[in-house]
Parts: sequence; structure tokens; C-alpha cells
Amino acid sequence: MASISDCSVYLPVWRLKRDEIAKATGLPSLGGEKSVAHWDEDSITMAVEAARALKGNFDAVLFASTSSPFKIKQAASFIAAALDLDDVFTMDFSGSLRASTDALITANDLVDSGRFSRVLVVASDCIPLKPGSLYEQYYGDAAVALTVEREGKAKIAGYSSYSQPLPGAWMLKDEVTSFDMRLDGMGYGEAVQQAAMSLFKKLGVGPKDFDRIVCSAPDPRSYESLMRSIGMRPEEFFFDKVGIAGTVHPFLLLASQLERPGRILLGGYGEGVDVLAIEISEPLQTNLRRMLESKKEISYGDYLYNKGFLGSREAHDRPSLAKYWREEKSILRFYGMKCRNCGTVSYPISKGCVECGARDDFEEVKLGFRGKIYTFTIDYLLSPGNTVGDGAHPHCVAVVDLEGGGRVFFEVTDVLRDFSGIECDAEVERTFRILFEKGGFRYYGWKVRLPR
Amino acid sequence: MAWDVAIIGCGVTKFGHHWDKDHDDLLVEAVHEALRDANLELKDVDAVWCGTFYPFTGVSGNVFSDSLKFFGKPITRVENYCATGMDVVRNACFAIMSGVYDIVIAAGVEKLMDTGGRGIPFIEGVFSVGMPYISAPGMFALAANRAFKEWKWTKEDLALVAVKNHYNGARHPKAHFRREVTVEEVLRAPIVAYPLGVYDCSAVSDGAAAVILTRPDIAKKLGCDYALIKAIGMAVETMHPWHRPSETFLSFPATVKAAKMAYKMAGIENPRKQLNFGIVHDCFTITELINYQDMQLCKPGEGAKLIRDGVTTIHGEFPINPDGGLKSFGHPIAASGVRMIVELAKQVLGKAEGLQVKDAEAGFAHNLGGPYSVASVAIVTKP
Repeated sequence: MASISDCSVYLPVWRLKRDEIAKATGLPSLGGEKSVAHWDEDSITMAVEAARALKGNFDAVLFASTSSPFKIKQAASFIAAALDLDDVFTMDFSGSLRASTDALITANDLVDSGRFSRVLVVASDCIPLKPGSLYEQYYGDAAVALTVEREGKAKIAGYSSYSQPLPGAWMLKDEVTSFDMRLDGMGYGEAVQQAAMSLFKKLGVGPKDFDRIVCSAPDPRSYESLMRSIGMRPEEFFFDKVGIAGTVHPFLLLASQLERPGRILLGGYGEGVDVLAIEISEPLQTNLRRMLESKKEISYGDYLYNKGFLGSREAHDRPSLAKYWREEKSILRFYGMKCRNCGTVSYPISKGCVECGARDDFEEVKLGFRGKIYTFTIDYLLSPGNTVGDGAHPHCVAVVDLEGGGRVFFEVTDVLRDFSGIECDAEVERTFRILFEKGGFRYYGWKVRLPR
Repeated sequence: MAWDVAIIGCGVTKFGHHWDKDHDDLLVEAVHEALRDANLELKDVDAVWCGTFYPFTGVSGNVFSDSLKFFGKPITRVENYCATGMDVVRNACFAIMSGVYDIVIAAGVEKLMDTGGRGIPFIEGVFSVGMPYISAPGMFALAANRAFKEWKWTKEDLALVAVKNHYNGARHPKAHFRREVTVEEVLRAPIVAYPLGVYDCSAVSDGAAAVILTRPDIAKKLGCDYALIKAIGMAVETMHPWHRPSETFLSFPATVKAAKMAYKMAGIENPRKQLNFGIVHDCFTITELINYQDMQLCKPGEGAKLIRDGVTTIHGEFPINPDGGLKSFGHPIAASGVRMIVELAKQVLGKAEGLQVKDAEAGFAHNLGGPYSVASVAIVTKP
């Protein structure tokens, strides 16, 4: 069996209070808040944000999501490129809220079989939700990345899976739907018990042999009542802080357990249940607390803008996919050039040095993640991702001197109308985002934000 | 090689929102005014250089031929961002200096109001995939924020530029904005690209300008009053200043180099002593202050002191933009550089249509384009 040796969480910076949704839609509030992505984030960008904090190289990338932006086009390959991984096996897991635990089980087997040595498993969800729908208050946006390899502080002791096509939520076209959440709760309890029984039998253990049980669920109450029915204390479910993070939810619950040693049972719900027994031998530090604390409140109107229900996005007319492909090393992998003649590090890679003009005499260098703003502006004639401005969503841009050299012109993201902290000499960090969408294609690249 | 190209005819339309005219109308108006000024007819012209920047008005040589019904002779269309106009004149000068043609027209026209939207239209070519978009005021706001940081310049300093140029422009019959403004009004205006507000930006205007050029000996023979172009320096720098580590955003290298070139050609060592006045490309108020420094009127960091001390007002020691500048006169891209040459000629001939600089004998004009990547500097004197 394999182990989880590292874990990194990404939560978008925005939190939307459910009372805000209730006020605007007239529906009763479920209380608390949920994490919501900025306009330039989707499950691919959030996956990169979570995964880029993990150390070391990988020979496989498994991506799990129910909201991969493309119907045809693998997300894992984009993620691998943004992480600058080479010679890597890439695979997407999709369509089910338990895609993440399916991917973790697969990673375990890939490592256990000796086929791959270090597998990146990254779950990310940014589920499109209809304003005013029931599920708008339920689902939140998040990503979690795990390193799966032979040795690690959290050892996978065994797993089992129980498949059950009904009941549960589904999305046929563009709206998350369920028949009756009370039926979903009933099916959930049955599926967890079936999966767990089979695992207990395999391992020769019982529920009392586990210190904690965490399991994603159709709603927080289903999980809590299941725990009470077997005499266990429910762990924190994060519904009031994040919401149900789609297929990311089991990983989010796992991340919340890794800092405390013990034997845990992890469940991933969706068309049945996956259960994994995990033994945490010593505390595995994660950034979950930091991600929960680093947040900004968003109004319902701005949330609708970020999700594309308000305002317009008009990118320029002729972006060239050929150019995007040719310049992958500069745009996605974020390499610059270091001139062998004058030593200048510059961006992007081009035929000649921008300072001394030396031609074809450079080495490609990976540019740093952090930097300092040399100068900036907040441009009201443009809106982010637009060639025109609406006057209400200005476009913040900065000239940034990166650590290790290289000066790059970036959009400053994760801002709407509050630009405090953005000034000359302020520290910023790179973040992977959607640049714009045009011609039915999504163009990704790097921006900067204030450090979190 | 000595320049000494004679300007014998000048024509400028009123700059502003010409909703009822298209670029043909404006070009015809400016060119015929210049011909009348030189007492010549269209058939006397040997060749034409015509500038227009935006492609929706630009149809190569036909921009000029079909407007003027000027067929069967050489016409070259020129474009070089907002510095298109002066580059039109520079290229036309070479035609005269080479001796191939006797009489040429250098004209610029721009019909910005036909594009819709605010500001100037988006230029796709500048933006590679992966690079954020930025508007024209945004580009210059990058300079303003760094200058504020480095030299402690303030929005009040920038406002003084707007106040001065509106004062001058209010007194020019062809200027777009003919109203004075106060520092308070400028500071109160909505932000366009922080820290630049509406009154820190030049006008988006329609307009056309034209000059008739010839050799001094021909000018004398024709019996025309003329001014002399003594030099035009020109330099192109990177269109991605934000990716060049050595860029300070406190000086525009293209201007520095074009100025040095022009001063050297015209034998000028101390512009503030040897020239009487200047016209700088004040597309934004911050640009004018940086231009003072790049044109060697003061040391780096002292641009704001010049405006605070009133050195560059019409009654100051070295008037800048006696016509109101782009700020108040308006800025129809390709027309602006040609109009600057017209203003220089009229000032040194003592025939300024607006405020006349006292005892003006020699002056410079500076035209800047793109992300400060293209600059031209011209020196014009009395014969």
C-alpha cells in the first residue's frame, strides 16, 4: 500500500455569506458562508494553485473534478504543464462526487504496483450553480492536492468501495438537481455502511478501531446523524466555512485530520461510497488554517459578476492558439531567458536580449514565484479579461520585479474594488488563472496577487 | 547634410468632435488651407506623404488620393502610433532634401470619434497572449505612480499642467477644449487610470493638418514667407517597456535619444538658452513633466519644479505648449505631429493663431507614440 506524504489546500479568497444569498433570492438562509472563486478561476486553475505548493517531482498527475471546464480536453495535461512537469502520465477522473477518492485509490494502486513512484492527486471543483437554486447555498469552490508515494506520514491501510447509482444529486445539463434530499440522506447512510463493512471485514477491524471518521455527504446533517447513530463524535464538516466542495470535499476533510496522529476512516460519497483506512503516524502540516483565515467578503452582486451572470467579457478578436502553443514555455511553464552576454534575466523568451541585443545566446530559466511591484495602475478604461471597461470593474496591472530576476507585466487579481495594499514596492506572488475566453477556448496563464 | 527644408504652407482644421464630417472632409479642408497659404494649387504638388494611424481610416495611399482626387502621383501612407504626424514630415523632408521633388505635402488625419467607445481604440498587435491589456492612460499612469514614489510628485503637480495648457488652448480658435480649468476641478475629476483623472488626459478628437514643403531657394522664388525645419530626430524603443529590467518609467528613452539627435543636427547644446519655446507631447499631464526632463530643459526629478515655478507658462522664461497642447487642443493621432510643425512655423513667423510667444525665433516640437516607444523631435527656426 502507499502513503500520503504531503497535502496542500487551496481556497479562493472570496467568502459569500449565505444570509447575502437569502436576502437577494428570498430563500431561507442555511447560515455561515461558502468559498467562491474569482472570475478568472476554474477547476484547472485552482488545481494548479493547490498543487504548486507541493515539493518534488511527479511521474503521474491524476485530476479529479465534476466541473472540468472542457468536455473534450484533458485538464491534467494543462495542470502538468503549468507545474512544469515533463514525462508525466496524466489522467482525469470526472462525473462523480467521489471522483477524488477514486483517484486516490487509483494512485495508491499505481504506487503499490511499482508502476509510478510519486503521484500527484489533485481534486478541484468549481461547480456552476444557478442563482436562486437550492444548491447555490450548498456547494463551495476549493481544491486539494496530495502527494502519494511509498513512504509518508499518512499510510493508506486499505480501501473498499460500494457502488449505488441512485439516489443522490445529478447534473444533466446545467443545473445541479436532486429528487429529494431526505432520500439522498437515506441512501448515503446505507452506502457508507456497506462500504465500511466490507473494509472492516478485509482488515479485520470494527468502527471502534478508528479514532475519527470523516466522510463527505449530500448535506452536513446526513454525516452528523450517521456519526451519532454509530456512537462517534462528528468531526468538523466545514459547511459553514467552505460549503460542500464538490468532489474536493473528502480531501478537505482529510486535510483537516492530517495534523493529528491516529487511525481515521475517510469516506468519499457519490454514486455509492469509497472508504479508505488511513494511519497517521505523525502530524502532517497543511495550509488549511491559513487558507480558511485568508479571506475577503464578497457581495451577492459581485459574486454574480464573478460567475458571469452580470456584466460582459469581451476579449480581443483574434487570439492565436498557434502562438499560445508555440510559446507554452513562456506562457504556461513561465520560463524567461538569461542572456549569456550581459547576464540579464528577461521575459518572455525571444530571439534576442532586450538589454544588449545579443542574438540566440541565452539559457532558459524558470522565473520566481514572488516579486515586488515596481509600478502599477488601476485602469478604468478596461475591465479584467476585457478590451473595454464598464467603469465598475477596473483592471489592475503591475510591473513586477521577480525574485531571481526578470521583470514581468502582470494583471493583479483577486481584487474587485478594494485596491489597498497595491503600491510601489509591495510584495506579490504569482497565481495561475484564466487570462480570457475567446472563440470557445479558455486561455490560461499567470497573474499576481497580494500574498496569502 | 544640412536640413533647411522650407515650410511654405500650413493648414489645420478645428480639432474636436466632427460628427458631421468624415476623414475625407477633414483632409480636404486642411490640405486646401495649406495650398491657399502657399498660393499654390494641387497640380503643383509632386508627391505626398500622408499619415493616419487607425486602420479603419487607413487605406494605404488611397487615404489621400481619393479624398483629394489627386491621382497619378506618388503617395506614401505613414503610421507610427501617436508620433505618426511628425514622422510624415520627416519622410517628406527627405524627399525635398534629396532633390527628387520640388513641392511635397505632408499631411495627417484621424477620425477617432467614428470608432465609438471611450479613449482610443484597442491595438491588438501590442498584446501577446499572456500579457495583460492596458489602455493608453494606463501606460502613462505606470510612470506617474513611480514618479510619485521616487520624486514625491503629487496630483497637484499634474493638475498645474492641465491648468496651464487649458489657459493657452482657451485662447486658440482651433483648439478642441476652449475653457480654462482650475486645480480643484482637475483634482475632482473621476479617475481614468489611477492616479490620472479625466483632466489629466488629452482630448480624443477628430482633425487634420497639412504642411507644404519645398527648398528655401524655391520658396524665395515663389515669394512665400517660410519657416525652416533645421532637424528632425527620431528613435524607436521597445514596445514592451514593462518587460525591460532597465526601464525606469521616469524617463522615456525614445524621447531622450530623438532629442539628442535633433539637438546635434541643429547645433544646439543648451536648448533652454538657444531656443525660445517648445511643444511637447502632453498626451497626459505626467508625460509633459517627464518630457521637460527628457528634452533637457531641467534635471531628472525637477520637472514638477518647472511647472510650480511657472517657467513654462506663456509669460514664463520658456513657454511650453503655447497652443494648449494635446491636452486642450486635442489629439487626433496622426494629425497631431503635423499640427505641431504648423504651430512651430506660425510662432517663428509671428503669425500664431492663438497666443503668440514673444520674440519667438526658434522652437522645438516633440511627438511621442505607443508605450513611449516611438519619439520624434523637430527644430524649426526663422530663415
